[in-house]
Amino acid sequence: MRTFVGIDLGSTTTKAVLMDENKEVIGRGITNSRSNYATAARVASEEARIDARFTLFRRALHVGEAGHEHSAEFLAALERNFRLIQFLEQLDDLEETCHRQLEADRFKSIAGPLQEALHIIFARLRQEAASLYAPGAKRKSDFFRDIAGSRFHVHAEAVAREMGIALDMVLNAYDKSIIEVENRPPGGDLSDKFRRAVARMLAADSHAADGEGDFAAMIESALGIELEETYLVGTGYGRVTLPFSKEHIRSEILCHGLGAHMMYPGTRTVLDIGGQDTKGIQIDGHGIVENFQMNDRCAAGCGRYLGYIADEMNMGLHELGPLAMQSNRPARINSTCTVFAGAELRDRLSLGEKREDILAGLHRAIILRAISIISRSGGVTDQFTFTGGVAKNEAAVRELRKLIQENYGEVTININPDSIYTGALGASEFARRAVAA
Amino acid sequence: MTITSGIDVGTGAIKVVAFAVEGDQERCLGKRVERVRQRDPLKLAGDIYDDLLKETGLARADVAYCATTGEGEALTFHTGHFYSMTTHARGAIYLNPGSRAVLDTGALHGRAIRMDDRGKVLAYKMTSQCASGSGQFLENIARYLGIAQDEIGSLSQRADNPEKVSGICAVLAETDVINMVSRGISSPNILRGIHESMADRLAKLLKTLGSLDGTVQMTGGLALDAGLVDAMKDAVVKARVDVAIESHPDAIYAGAIGAALWGAFRHKRLADMARAA
Repeated sequence: MRTFVGIDLGSTTTKAVLMDENKEVIGRGITNSRSNYATAARVASEEARIDARFTLFRRALHVGEAGHEHSAEFLAALERNFRLIQFLEQLDDLEETCHRQLEADRFKSIAGPLQEALHIIFARLRQEAASLYAPGAKRKSDFFRDIAGSRFHVHAEAVAREMGIALDMVLNAYDKSIIEVENRPPGGDLSDKFRRAVARMLAADSHAADGEGDFAAMIESALGIELEETYLVGTGYGRVTLPFSKEHIRSEILCHGLGAHMMYPGTRTVLDIGGQDTKGIQIDGHGIVENFQMNDRCAAGCGRYLGYIADEMNMGLHELGPLAMQSNRPARINSTCTVFAGAELRDRLSLGEKREDILAGLHRAIILRAISIISRSGGVTDQFTFTGGVAKNEAAVRELRKLIQENYGEVTININPDSIYTGALGASEFARRAVAA
Repeated sequence: MTITSGIDVGTGAIKVVAFAVEGDQERCLGKRVERVRQRDPLKLAGDIYDDLLKETGLARADVAYCATTGEGEALTFHTGHFYSMTTHARGAIYLNPGSRAVLDTGALHGRAIRMDDRGKVLAYKMTSQCASGSGQFLENIARYLGIAQDEIGSLSQRADNPEKVSGICAVLAETDVINMVSRGISSPNILRGIHESMADRLAKLLKTLGSLDGTVQMTGGLALDAGLVDAMKDAVVKARVDVAIESHPDAIYAGAIGAALWGAFRHKRLADMARAA
């Protein structure tokens, strides 16, 4: 099967979209960006291929059709087992890498206790891994770095206290290792991993396969479909350094404009709040960019702002919006700088202000900045499409709707659940057109 | 003899010291520092305070004056609170009686303070409301590079071709480092580049204080960063600020020390007033 790949190498996350010849998206993948752009691009497109496999499985298992009620559960369980296998593999790599660090001079004097501490920490990490991927389990993020990092921190703190050793040294062994592990491209054969996931699942729950037909055989036949990478286009912040030749690269403004147009053909104004930049883009009826504006080099008003605040509060990024929604008296945030806003948050918390009110204030602050960028790009005409990771945040959306209405009256506001893939979607369409033309 | 303590609650670390003061004899009984690392700073401050007292064989009741500084005002058990400017000035005089100015570089702010020989603040300036060029900025980068705080200085000193950085947002710094690493720039050159840009800003800050005599004492967590100290020495020459830059192994405790000493001073005055009344 011919596929067209779009990769959006963003400042914080790298996204990939796999499109088929019928202009249908069959897979989406996301990973965090890292210092090796080739690896980031590779991991994102592998994630998209994994997702595409699940699309093919869904088709093979007739998920969603009447009389196939169990197949959705089967697929969900398969995905959880698959993710767990991936997580455990990377955890092994991380543990090995951490131990290797201890050979360095700075760890020599306490290598023994550190080694023991690492053994205990990783044993605990491994022990709880299954619960991280249990049905209905909530994770702070889906990226290995975030999951492993936050859990490592928790266990390291406890173990360092129990053993009476310096927490900083334990964390340092992790800090030195994670970048290495992250920049190692994923190994192993994908099909094999799927097979192991199926086996693991059936071993744990033999009833999992009691459904409509032989699930394992259906999975096997879907694995037989070859995903051919026909053409690839890269875009995004890191596009200049993408390991592709020039004809495989498009500007991210163009890709975002086209992606938004594909999702909502009536779009005339796009607001994209990404990890480190916020863009206001004006497009015509064909998705061609007419004008745009971007923030300067400051994280206030970008997605990272909320990411930083989530870290400060020790919460998952996706938990911020729901909490902020509970406020009806948003605090007025004085700090512009993200780091200072984090400090202000701590101050306000210690003064007894409500978490939801502070959070609502922070959401308002980020949207206020976005509104000023939109106005500089030429304002809003009907229809307005909000893209990027922050579009998933209901509190940000609430604030945006309010401010758009105050400033521009009644306009249609589109928000797609897959809005974070807008740039990659545009890129994959450029890839498809490159071959179709 | 009066036992006093100083607790400096910073954004990045908590510093606690205990002093015995008799006349103009000031003797440090013990000191402790612990990085906050996403824990509750106030609870942590209380824990470290108790740890230090235990270590020095004291009880809370033995401490005549428990002084806080930084964000420590919210601690329920303190006797009094002092502003960071006054505590760092006083702490610097204790560490180095010849100092007449302080350059305090912490997690969020850079501060320049001019004082007299008794630690009285004459003027001060702070960096702007942006965390670029702060300790937090440097920490983000070091964490990403997998470098521990105490390694930063010596690595920076090994730079051969520093990478210029200017006013990068502390939060976006990580992305910037990703780019630098992917461009093949070495850790020493990245770190030294940051040190230089920080030092340039701090030198400008010093300049705004007016004419300085005596030495400039560096305080705060970054005073222990030999790379920054080196860069600072170069930067004052470049900015034509004619001063000697000095650091001290205990520079990170300057705020806590100053708080403890001002605490002793205030305690004595209160006692004198009580006697007089």
